[in-house]
Amino acid sequence: MLAFSNNSLANYLFWVSRKKWLIITFLLSVVLFYLPTPDGLTSEGHRTLIIVVTTLILIISESIPLPAVAILILIMEVTLGVDSPDGVAASFMSDAVFFIMGSLMLAVSIVHQGLDKRLALTIINVTGNKTFNITFGFVTVSAIMSSFIGEHTVAAMMLPVVLALIRNAGLDTVKASKLSTLLLFSIAYGCALGSIGTPSGGGRNVIMIGYLSEFGLGTISYLEWMKYTYPILILEIPIAVAVLWFTFTPKQKNLDSAVRKLKVDVAKSGKLSGNQLMAIFVFILVFLGWIFLSPKIGLGIVALTGVFFYLTFGLIEWHDIARRTNWGVILLFGSAISLGIQMKETGAALYVAENALNSLQYIFQDVEIVRWFFSVVLSAVLTNLLSNAATVAVLGPIVLDMGGNPIILGIATSVASAFAYLTIVASPTCMIIHSTGLVSSNDYLKAGWKLFIISIILLFLVSFFYWPTLS
Amino acid sequence: MKILIAVSSKAYSGETLSVGMKVGKAFKASTTIVDVGEKINQFSMKEVDMVQERMDSWDIDRPGVDVLEWAFEYLAKKELIKTNAIEAGFPKNTLVETGGGRSEVFLEGTFCEDLNLILRNGDIIEELKNEVQDYEYDVTIIGGSGKGRMSHDLTQYVNSSIFVVNNYKANEDYRLLLPVDNSQGTKKAVKYGVRIAQAFDIEVDIITISKTDEFKEEYKSAANWASKFLRRSNIKHRNIFLKGEPSELIAKEAGDNHIIVMGSSKRNPLKTFFQGNKPLKVLENSECPILIVK
Repeated sequence: MLAFSNNSLANYLFWVSRKKWLIITFLLSVVLFYLPTPDGLTSEGHRTLIIVVTTLILIISESIPLPAVAILILIMEVTLGVDSPDGVAASFMSDAVFFIMGSLMLAVSIVHQGLDKRLALTIINVTGNKTFNITFGFVTVSAIMSSFIGEHTVAAMMLPVVLALIRNAGLDTVKASKLSTLLLFSIAYGCALGSIGTPSGGGRNVIMIGYLSEFGLGTISYLEWMKYTYPILILEIPIAVAVLWFTFTPKQKNLDSAVRKLKVDVAKSGKLSGNQLMAIFVFILVFLGWIFLSPKIGLGIVALTGVFFYLTFGLIEWHDIARRTNWGVILLFGSAISLGIQMKETGAALYVAENALNSLQYIFQDVEIVRWFFSVVLSAVLTNLLSNAATVAVLGPIVLDMGGNPIILGIATSVASAFAYLTIVASPTCMIIHSTGLVSSNDYLKAGWKLFIISIILLFLVSFFYWPTLS
Repeated sequence: MKILIAVSSKAYSGETLSVGMKVGKAFKASTTIVDVGEKINQFSMKEVDMVQERMDSWDIDRPGVDVLEWAFEYLAKKELIKTNAIEAGFPKNTLVETGGGRSEVFLEGTFCEDLNLILRNGDIIEELKNEVQDYEYDVTIIGGSGKGRMSHDLTQYVNSSIFVVNNYKANEDYRLLLPVDNSQGTKKAVKYGVRIAQAFDIEVDIITISKTDEFKEEYKSAANWASKFLRRSNIKHRNIFLKGEPSELIAKEAGDNHIIVMGSSKRNPLKTFFQGNKPLKVLENSECPILIVK
């Protein structure tokens, strides 16, 4: 070779072998671009759908970094003429993105306080030493806390507690046992099912609320959301505990000595410090702000106000926030929401919605069930492959264009996107417990499929028999 | 000379580590043992980092540290590190971040100056390729675990010699299989073969294969040269001449009781990409440890 050595040629080939999905996506998008626009779809809509397909493949295959996917969405929106540069920029930022940014920063600030040891003690004092009660306690506390402060915050605080318990039970913290699997899943599934409880439980809830008001389909307040979803959360807790207990029944029915050692560990850390009290106080203010002020100033601004207090009171350094916040995810959700808005505006969402309804109507006669089935099942499946917020950002506009009661369909989609029980990549919580090396991808399927199916049935019953009585 | 040994877990990497250290000792090479932890999904990277920081405050080890600790214990048992280091125990607190999610423990070896343990996280092939590229290793030693194309891809893309410790059995009476021909790679392969044969204290089968019925003069002289080289190094050996398809015959001759040492292919990477090459085919077909010398 004249131009380059064998070694650099091998390096190029390595790149090609690693980026095959990027290359396939590129070729696919070129082919799609030159296909004639189908009837009933505008040419902008056609091009928007090309971006959607590109985005989904690139996120699932992880062949390029997520922030690169985010930037690619923006570039494609402008270069394919879907919207003007300023239009794309305007759709990129919204209160929902503020919220995602604020809540990730809040998570860093709260976890930084080291409240996990206190939390451990409180839980153990209530549950006592029985393994079953501890499991129940972990699921309940994870679910209720994550419904307010978001799942990754709670998972980050609960994981060390669980690992400390496993270690204190005299088990290896590097070799899986039924006890370790049970306790780890109790926080993962607790956090996942809890995140449906309030708008602040997960960015996707806020994205859905944002779409509802942006598209003029209705507004929903913090407390109204809770009225819809909290009953599901409460019902899911015992179900999840039962599923986990019977799937991973541990040998140790009692954890006497482990609990005692944990108490000793925690006692060493002393009483609540002034900073910790202050941190809790600020969070309570944020929570009250979400309930009472968010209709006027937005959920995102409330979250950012909280971050403002944490920073100004010196409860966290900016350096820590900057280092620990996943900026790539914020960029991606901004882009995904922008793409969602373009799907609505170009009519791409309507086109997909109508076609999906038409083809599904061969299976179900009742159009209400067709709409529900499409929203919920697709959302629940996609969430296990992508991420729950990205799922709602892309699926939301389609679901809301299907007719029927947009609030019921919207909330059902958001709730279904929390059923991230089946895979490691489904949510940060699933990844967090996997990163301990104690749970394998098979474990997710073992318990996950049961909880997944029960959750969908429960959501069906609630959507058709309880929610209609609310509106 | 620098050697990289990739281990993955205590359960599956025992043989890789012991073979790797034997090779390291034979070459008196600076040896590094690496554990590549699983890739963390990008959505969750920061969250996982945050959790691991909390785990530190509870004095719970991050995943991977246990593998390094196990490797340390192995080195201590075999007295491959200096006594004062053995007495001090595994120096967990000296695990330093060297950037890009790579952490390192420096130790002093008894047969070499540097004996390091490192942790990396991510896609195993990419991580090992980067490690070799950034720190310039001469030999990379990996297990032959059933991860399908892993050893194949590593051989193709990692820029060092590769030793795949495939199905190694400590009690087996191995012989060394040394395929030679007139290619440039043969001489280096023979030199490596000598060191390996000495390290394992085994005899060598020099194998020369012709695709045609007639043996080319160059082939015969390559076999003679190898034979002379081994005789000078005092290694018992025999010459085997066969006719047929080299990649199939080498694997067949090796069975499961040989360690194959062969030169890498100088084939154009583009052709290799689409059609493979001889060492890659041998690797695919063989059931025994194989060192491909680059």
